[in-house]
Amino acid sequence: MGGPKPTRVSNRIRELRTERELTQADIAAKLGVTRQTIIAIEQGRYSPSLEMAFQIARVLEAPLDDVFQYREAADS
Amino acid sequence: MNDDESHVPMTGEEKIAWVYGAVVLLTSGAYFVWLATQFAAHPADEIAWEVPLLITLGASIVLTIVGTILGAIGGAVWQGIWGRFEEPDFTTDERDRAIKELGNRRMFAAMTAGVVGTLVLAMLNVDTLWIGNWVFLACSIGALAEVVSKIRAYRRGV
Repeated sequence: MGGPKPTRVSNRIRELRTERELTQADIAAKLGVTRQTIIAIEQGRYSPSLEMAFQIARVLEAPLDDVFQYREAADS
Repeated sequence: MNDDESHVPMTGEEKIAWVYGAVVLLTSGAYFVWLATQFAAHPADEIAWEVPLLITLGASIVLTIVGTILGAIGGAVWQGIWGRFEEPDFTTDERDRAIKELGNRRMFAAMTAGVVGTLVLAMLNVDTLWIGNWVFLACSIGALAEVVSKIRAYRRGV
């Protein structure tokens, strides 16, 4: 079915949760979402709502723009 | 901990989409094959299509329910065999809802084309066999468009 859908939103969730010794399942349980959704966000296949983005940042104890980055069109 | 993605089972919603797609293909496919054999053997106005169509609709509902239950049991057994059992996750989250909306939009587009076609057939005053089966065909195509777009979104991204 081809590669992942491109998105300009990238994130450091994997890196930050590894530092904090959290699994995808841990974050999913804290947010009440499926582990597949966390995986899709980490891999850039799903851009979360603003509300979920804040929740993820809170779970990772990091500012929102440390967790998510938005590339401008010229950067891509 | 870094072994998170060694095994990622489908979500409950994705499993249901696969089951529904398989059931629509099976039941609608069987019905239209049967209808084609009837066209080959009888004049159109002698084909009794109503009861077989109702049976097809009933079978679709029953098979989707049974298939979903068997899929959940079969998935758990399969995971057990491979020693990767995980608690079934029936959570529905915002990604599931976004994918559902996408599927609904695809289905709506197919159904709109179906409605326009039905209006044309009615205006032409054709036999109810054509109208009834055209509507069923549009529903089947709409359901498949919904399922394909949902599975694609689960696999490739929303």
